[in-house]
Amino acid sequence: MKVHSSRLGREARVAWAIAVKDIRTYYTRPPSIMFGILFPFSLFLSFSIGRTAPLSVQIPVLIAQTLFFASSSIGPVVIPSERANQTFDRFLTSPVSLLSILLGKTLAGVIFGIGISVIPILIGVAFFGSQIANVGALVACMALSSLGFSAMGIMFASLPGQQPGQVMMPLNFVRIPLLFISGVYTPVRELPSWGQMGSMLSPLTHTIELARYALGGETFFGPLVNITILAVYTALFLFMGIRFHIMNQRKE
Amino acid sequence: MEGFTRASEVTTQMQAEFAIEVSNLTKKYGDLVAVDHINFQVRKSEIFGFLGPNGAGKTTTIRMLTGISIPTEGTAAIMGYDIRRQPIEAKEQMGIVPDISNVYNELSAWDNLIFTGKLYVMPKGFRDSRAEELLKMFGLYERRGEKVQGFSRGMKRRICITMALMNRSSVLFLDEPTSGLDVQSVLIIRDLIRKLNQEGLTIFVTTHNIEEASQICDRVAIINHGKIAAIDTPERLKRTVESLQSIEVAFEVPPLDALKGLGELPYVGEVVKEGDKFRLFTDDPSSVLASVWNYAQSNELKLITVNTLGPSLEDVFVKLTGIRPATEGEGGRMGRGRGQSQGQGMGQRRGS
Repeated sequence: MKVHSSRLGREARVAWAIAVKDIRTYYTRPPSIMFGILFPFSLFLSFSIGRTAPLSVQIPVLIAQTLFFASSSIGPVVIPSERANQTFDRFLTSPVSLLSILLGKTLAGVIFGIGISVIPILIGVAFFGSQIANVGALVACMALSSLGFSAMGIMFASLPGQQPGQVMMPLNFVRIPLLFISGVYTPVRELPSWGQMGSMLSPLTHTIELARYALGGETFFGPLVNITILAVYTALFLFMGIRFHIMNQRKE
Repeated sequence: MEGFTRASEVTTQMQAEFAIEVSNLTKKYGDLVAVDHINFQVRKSEIFGFLGPNGAGKTTTIRMLTGISIPTEGTAAIMGYDIRRQPIEAKEQMGIVPDISNVYNELSAWDNLIFTGKLYVMPKGFRDSRAEELLKMFGLYERRGEKVQGFSRGMKRRICITMALMNRSSVLFLDEPTSGLDVQSVLIIRDLIRKLNQEGLTIFVTTHNIEEASQICDRVAIINHGKIAAIDTPERLKRTVESLQSIEVAFEVPPLDALKGLGELPYVGEVVKEGDKFRLFTDDPSSVLASVWNYAQSNELKLITVNTLGPSLEDVFVKLTGIRPATEGEGGRMGRGRGQSQGQGMGQRRGS
């Protein structure tokens, strides 16, 4: 048991070291800023300008969008760049498991996602009268969503390519359509039944729902369903990410 | 890593007879067999050279041994630890310098080393003192705070080597360590390889540079088309091609048809022009010496250099890999062949 705990501690320390290194090295890279910050804010502005709904109602959408785009953008920036200059090989030759390497990378995305999504929360509370009605729901929303979306980015980063754009393009092919079925533009309750089914399968739906719930709004599926589905997606993305990266090692 | 190596690990390392043991190691990419069931052992504290032409399987082998790539078949052990079943323990024993200096350009020299120490979970005090020791050893301590992106290629190579040495590994893998470097950096790195080896480090080095391998390696393996063609000490390998003796001659003013004229002399198998000299391969150097003398006399040529040369490691390499220089048939080579099929048009000959 002692050996297990020391091994776990060792892996956790390496994962943290990798995350800190990625934060220092990649947060200010143009693709991180473009796809992680400018993209969700621009999308939000183009969606909200001219709408009659008050901004306080739209703040949960902005929180969800920033969590979604910021968290999922770091892996696709970091891993192809590291593949290009072969620094990713350094991790593979280090005495640490692939899980810890990918968890470190995921953690960098989590911190980025949470850091950026705090901005709309502060703006909402400070300027638009938003109130945090359920702190637990907000914490669950931010923690699970950032983890799940960051893991999604890591999974996509297993695609072969040495430029962030080579991963961002297929990732956006998935991210952007998800906006249309996740209650961003049309509330879930107003969707037809097949649309509601599709919406339930989208992880972004549950991020938006939890954010709304946390700020005193309603959730169509219920907070427990939201949390469960986000947790399932997080585990699935992590598992698939590891499997895909092992497949890459076999092809190397 | 003496300070934090477990007792069971020490036992395993001591029990291991070889530093590296490779058994039936194979890598396939679809139908292409890049490395084909290779077997070899590297003794502890040995400098082992892995020679081969481009695409022979050198880097693929090193990538499998270091855990970057998963073998299709077979296995290998580093200091007794199986790379498939005990990858963490095996990786703790090794340091790696890849063919490209994969340093973090955005970080300083110091931070590159400290980050490497963190990957090996080295305690902070040990990490800092080791980084300082290595940067001083490699003449980089004064520039430790600068970002690596401003460093020259040779300096980046040195940083890469310091990173590989951070964890005080037992086995050091060097993939083309001196490729593309200036003479000073090459000499520093070769000297360092010898020093590290004298301290007991096992070194596995892949290189194109046959002369370098001959100078620094205790044993070499020659790999070609994914298969091991030969493994032995450089001197013993040279003795296997004792028939490849040669005479090197230089004339004060060489005639335009010297290559043809020398190639037609009796007992000359082949003539290769190497700079301002001609190298005549033969089984009978004494007879050829007499012929060359007669050739010079009859053509009123002044001989300024005559050397008899034994086979070089490069000759062994050429014989085993079948690689010929690109100049063949274009005026750089003439003669009746060297007694074996030599099919590919690539590679370089050593200036003797």
